Amino acid sequence: MPPTTATVTPGLASFLKSLKTDSVESSIEHFISLLKRRQIRNSRPCAIATTQLLLRVVANFKGRDVGKLLRRIREVGQRLTAAQPREMVVGNMVRRVLGLIREVAEDGGDADTNAMSDIGQSPQPQHDSLARPSLSSSISTFSPLRHGATQPMDSSLHSESLADSIDLAQRPPLLTSHTSYAAPSAPMVTSLFGLFSHPETPSAASTPTGYHSPNGKATTLTAQNLERLGDSSAKTGDLKAEVLEGIRELLDELDQSDELIAANALDHIHSNEIILTHSASTTVQKFLLAAAKKRKFTVVHAEAHPNDHDATHATILTGKKRDTSEDSDAEDRWKPLTAAGITVVLIPDSHVFAIMSRVNKVILATHTVLANGGLVAAAGARMIAKAAKVHQTPVVVVSGVYKLSPVYPFDIEELIEYGDAGNVVPYEDGDFVDKVDVDNPLYDYVPADLVDLYITNLGGHAPSYLYRIVADHYRVEDINL
Amino acid sequence: MSNQPPSSSQELPASIPNASDQKPRQSQGENQKTVGADPAAPPALSGAELKKRAKAEKAAKRAQQKAAGPPKEVKSAVKESKQGAKETKQAPKESKQLPKEAEKSRPMPLRRRGSQTAPPPKDLKKDTKQVGLFGHLYGQPRQHTVVGAAKEVHPAVLALGLQMSSYVICGSTSRCVAMLLAFKSVIESYTTPPGNSLARHLTAHHLSPQIDYLKSCRPISISMGNAIRWLKDVIIKIDPQVTESDAKSHLLSSIDNFILQRITAADELIAASASQKIQAGDVILTYASSSIVQSTLIKAHKAGTPFRVIVVDSKPLFEGRKLARNLAAHGLQVQYSLVSAAAHAVKEATKVFLGAHAMMSNGRLYSRVGTAVVAMLAHERDIPVIVCCESVKFTERVALDSIVGNEVAPAEELLSEAEREALVGLKSKPADSENVTEAAGDAGERGKGEVLKWWREEPNLQMLNILYDVTPAEYIKMVVTEYGSLPPSSVPVVHRISTNT
Repeated sequence: MPPTTATVTPGLASFLKSLKTDSVESSIEHFISLLKRRQIRNSRPCAIATTQLLLRVVANFKGRDVGKLLRRIREVGQRLTAAQPREMVVGNMVRRVLGLIREVAEDGGDADTNAMSDIGQSPQPQHDSLARPSLSSSISTFSPLRHGATQPMDSSLHSESLADSIDLAQRPPLLTSHTSYAAPSAPMVTSLFGLFSHPETPSAASTPTGYHSPNGKATTLTAQNLERLGDSSAKTGDLKAEVLEGIRELLDELDQSDELIAANALDHIHSNEIILTHSASTTVQKFLLAAAKKRKFTVVHAEAHPNDHDATHATILTGKKRDTSEDSDAEDRWKPLTAAGITVVLIPDSHVFAIMSRVNKVILATHTVLANGGLVAAAGARMIAKAAKVHQTPVVVVSGVYKLSPVYPFDIEELIEYGDAGNVVPYEDGDFVDKVDVDNPLYDYVPADLVDLYITNLGGHAPSYLYRIVADHYRVEDINL
Repeated sequence: MSNQPPSSSQELPASIPNASDQKPRQSQGENQKTVGADPAAPPALSGAELKKRAKAEKAAKRAQQKAAGPPKEVKSAVKESKQGAKETKQAPKESKQLPKEAEKSRPMPLRRRGSQTAPPPKDLKKDTKQVGLFGHLYGQPRQHTVVGAAKEVHPAVLALGLQMSSYVICGSTSRCVAMLLAFKSVIESYTTPPGNSLARHLTAHHLSPQIDYLKSCRPISISMGNAIRWLKDVIIKIDPQVTESDAKSHLLSSIDNFILQRITAADELIAASASQKIQAGDVILTYASSSIVQSTLIKAHKAGTPFRVIVVDSKPLFEGRKLARNLAAHGLQVQYSLVSAAAHAVKEATKVFLGAHAMMSNGRLYSRVGTAVVAMLAHERDIPVIVCCESVKFTERVALDSIVGNEVAPAEELLSEAEREALVGLKSKPADSENVTEAAGDAGERGKGEVLKWWREEPNLQMLNILYDVTPAEYIKMVVTEYGSLPPSSVPVVHRISTNT
């Protein structure tokens, strides 16, 4: 976080401003470059930017075909996740939007024809009772980071195994910047083929073999899609409006998730409690502030030294992280905890074990929550959670549902981003940096067994229940972006 | 504490405050508020009046402070007996004007401790900056100057004290050796005053001020305490018949022997045996900086064992940087990370070597804060944790947690220059919005001092900077001492052996 306080620091605010004026394609490129340069980072800004961008993409979508809209979103999503695979909320938001579109399409289909119900219902029953096997098996073949970061063409390769060659030609190369040619070519040439490939992509990529015979499915789906062509041509305007409405609701959810989480605060914090938290998080701050209105307690704040300590200090002193305070208005400024009469004790990370025996509760913020109940959080969270475990102190993780990712962490190492070694030892110390390998991981993976409770905007959940919320929010077809 | 006459505590009023305890101090202040007289005044009054007064005082106090816990602590009075005694002496004179004084300061509960006259508002503020749980650990503020040192304090000790308080000399072993060397020059320049014997006078009247001064600079370490106890023992055993010069040379050579046997030779033995534990291809993880661990690693490296070292470190002292630099200079392959990354560092490690500040008799390790985290993470992954510790650091004390006994360092040390600088910009920012009122007052100037002031004056904000923590015995697989390699449960046995010989 170098303090480059020029008049316009590239970041979430400048991006949202430019989003209003720029064309869709340049906005996408802009966002990708911001992600790559880490100028938009952390879950919330990424989620907001992604959703706003997708709102634009949907609004500007000219075609009348659901399949193509889905493919367009998916294509954008692939580019975004490839740009910064470790910001998993980007992928989450893309999946949410995809699921939204599917839902809208299915609702329309259900109302109109019975024949459509096959598309609509084939994923639906899986969500209700049979979700577990199909979900896990589709996840298990999937490693989003490697797929996103190093082999961006991977998914298209194995989804193409069944699709025809025209689909290959039509799918744009993912990492190149001249993808825009797909947009003009898509509406006229491929509307029929698009219909073709839409239901087939999920069946190839994520439906476990043995559920349907590929042959039978392909034929029935084609028939249905042809039938729907007639329907959807009449209904696209309606559909698009509904999707846009849904995306706006998604934005509202992002906006309100902190308040909804904070509403649970009084159920979890009692008087005179000693609460330990870590690094700077607005969700945690609002959670604690909500409890502070009614109850008096003590907060022990570990500062997350090499990377987040400045933000932590700023949060303690002003209630706001530094980087967000620059681009937000005065209206959503709030008071620090100390002003609410809460005693805040700042400690270095090393003191965690020493003080843990007196701590009643640990409240952690998170970067991403994974489908198995584990989470990725700022470095140091792992040792705090473990120290809490050995002291039998409950660990509560507060997180919006938007941070919940359908990814299963098979390779933990690839989830961890490494940061600037200069934060650990300044580069002025030349001979030290020269001889010694300096390590600075930004994140820790905290396994599910170290967490006692998740509080999301939907309420409190056991870590073992998270898979169910994943199943509620993401479509199986979309897990493989 | 040994030099203070315990008898004087008898004549004290029961509520003489303990300097390090917050509650009795408040009780003192409120006591004045209610009674309006110095609590030390009673000796000037007649016996009957005194009794009456004491009764009234007690009743008032009890009424006021039911919540504040027991208002008097006879035990703590012993600690403060010296200053208390002074107070009683001055009391008769003061008691006349005191009612007025107390009236003046009525809104502000006044804390009076003998000759020390700190302005009360400042004291109050400081109290709110003390972390409640650790309230008992805050003693006198650390001495950073030679001002106010007793005149008997030897210049070598003066210098040493400053070096300790500024962490120039840091680490249990080096502090112990440095102290013994300073005491050597103290003893060299000592002459027994006529009419006294060296054995009696040296300890009580000459060594004690030195030790007190060192304590005021930074609380002494376990090893220093052990060494002092040993030295006093040696001094007391000196035959009064021996001439002074003989006695002094005997003392000097004893100190040299002690350093050689208990520290220098012990270090070598430990390094030799601990370096045997390092095998080819090992990845050794260590936390902060320990001189024995350093010599162990260098010894193993010189023996030709190929291995890698990970140094985990933490703010604010960053002792590990020195260790990493030294090891790298010897050609070892060193990786360095901070304690927040410990969970990652432990993954690669095959053994963990730790230094010690002290080994407790219940097998727990008392060492630089953060050690417990590293040991816990290593234990979780079944990586052996090996502690290298000379027997001079063993103590008969026991500890269950890191809160009852610890050392609190000044909180300002937590904020490095860069961190203060990073906050400077922020401070001016809230000043132009009306919401952050505390900061808005003095937005004119900027600077790092400003930020510190901000921290200090922000209500309800505290910083905690303790120096040690206690690692549970079950995380420790082995303690390497000069008596051999033992499980932590053998610590009390070794301590007995080492103190009896």
